[in-house]
Amino acid sequence: MVKAVRGVLVECEPAIKSILVHIDSTHHHEFIIEDLDDTHLFVKEAMLQVLKSKLEERLRETYRPDEPLEDSE
Amino acid sequence: MSGGQQSYQLSEYLEKLPGTTFRKLYQQPSTAFAIFRRMLPPLAKVFVQALLYMPSPLLLSELDVWVRAEGKMQRDRALSILRSLHIIQITPPGKDKPQEMQLTTNFKNSLRLALEGGGSHNSFGVPSTLPVAPRIDIAHLDGYARKKWEDILHYVVNSVPAQNDGGGGVSGGGPKTSVKELLLIGRLVERRHDTQAGVGITQAGFTFLLQEANAQVWTLLLLWLEAADRAKGEAKGAANTDSIDMLSFLFMLASLELGRAYNTGALTETRRNMLPHLVDFGLIFIPREDTRQYFPTRLATTLTSSASSLRSVSSGFNAATANNPGDASSLGTTPETSAASKGSVIIETNYRLYAYTSSPLQIAVLGLFTQLNMRFAGMATGRLTRDSIRRAIGFGITADQIISYLASHAHDQMVRAAAATGRPVLPPTVVDQIRLWQLENERMRTSAGFLFKDFDSLEEYVSLSSYADEVGVLVWRSDKKRMFYASKIEQLRDYLKSRKKAE
Repeated sequence: MVKAVRGVLVECEPAIKSILVHIDSTHHHEFIIEDLDDTHLFVKEAMLQVLKSKLEERLRETYRPDEPLEDSE
Repeated sequence: MSGGQQSYQLSEYLEKLPGTTFRKLYQQPSTAFAIFRRMLPPLAKVFVQALLYMPSPLLLSELDVWVRAEGKMQRDRALSILRSLHIIQITPPGKDKPQEMQLTTNFKNSLRLALEGGGSHNSFGVPSTLPVAPRIDIAHLDGYARKKWEDILHYVVNSVPAQNDGGGGVSGGGPKTSVKELLLIGRLVERRHDTQAGVGITQAGFTFLLQEANAQVWTLLLLWLEAADRAKGEAKGAANTDSIDMLSFLFMLASLELGRAYNTGALTETRRNMLPHLVDFGLIFIPREDTRQYFPTRLATTLTSSASSLRSVSSGFNAATANNPGDASSLGTTPETSAASKGSVIIETNYRLYAYTSSPLQIAVLGLFTQLNMRFAGMATGRLTRDSIRRAIGFGITADQIISYLASHAHDQMVRAAAATGRPVLPPTVVDQIRLWQLENERMRTSAGFLFKDFDSLEEYVSLSSYADEVGVLVWRSDKKRMFYASKIEQLRDYLKSRKKAE
């Protein structure tokens, strides 16, 4: 019998996706409902904000963006 | 409350209404006409027009003769819109009888009445026979509506210093307390104690600000209808308003003529009770000395015209008044080019931005995504920076919204220079960089919806997923996993039900 599950579709780069999967596996799999493909995940709606902030945290540890050159005003 | 994340659109609101509500709504010719005019894509209009005077139901299979094979998708989408608005009825598929379609009775009768005239329905308003004060002309109404609406927008941008902090007191400027409460209920603003006015803008509020004027008006009106519905449910008697009558009154307002006086006495009590609120929104004007007349403003008469004709309140007004000051066209069709020519923003390839405006509202809106540095008389300068865009995106503004705002408000020098050299209006480097900044901040694109899985057979999967594709709700599919993701569930559920019946 066909089932329809409510949730949030997440589309992201493969690199981000693997971070998300890793976060999920270290948190008792409480975020992801279904791993769809390289760039898509299906996650629980209620946990989306938590997942977003966890990702932000992880990225801040590793990622330093370059600021474009300041010009004089 | 469902309006937390996205701001409200008329079509979403209508889709949720039950069929009985539609039957009542379509008793009014003005409503049927307004829905026909505003809500239907061209192909759906063609279908309705063809069916309107057809004496007997049309076989669904005959529709295939009208539509070319490659247009099947548009056809299905048009049919699904017509069905969700309860404009057509299609008999369920059965083995013994082919499917037939026809217009629903009320809609057919009302649309015929609207086109042919006649009947004593007073559905298109009753003009007032009383003398009109000479000071009330179209320019006066435009000025009045613009002031009211800009007050509301100002309040949302939070640039009006209000004196009340969280209480029900009356502030020096800005909209009425009832409007403020509505904005709070609709979560376009929320109470916040760290700001001067005691309220701060929300994500939905930002989306609201960058919408075109027409969509803004509808967003607010629908919030108001919902609030009135709830009030009716909670306190009986106090606000016994009939939301169906309210909605059809709005559609009626849209069919009135700008600059004409209409008779207040000819309205039902529900509608008379709406008048003070509509005055607060700036949709109608009632002269203080004579409350027996009301005047629809441009905000009201353009309610059901094509949504993209007005980019923003100020530019829309400017263009409309510059174009046809004498012609009180209730259709309000405003060429987009003339709206854009009133733009005032110059953006350079080095991300610097100059806005030749003294409108505090426009400066405040620019301030949402620009780091403003200096302000002179009639001009403000600033820069787009990674941080300013990042902040805006954090509030829920999208890069596309920013880009389209900049493009539609570009200074006519930029438009002219771009046209002369055949290049895009905005510097491509800036546009690309704004998009890149968004990508960098938004690592995940998310959308709420439904995942369909565990199909019994491949055939079942293929038929449901291709139906989802045809009605335009399919977002992702995997044939290998036999799963697909759809943004909406209602039509698919109906489809499954009707299939089960047919088997």
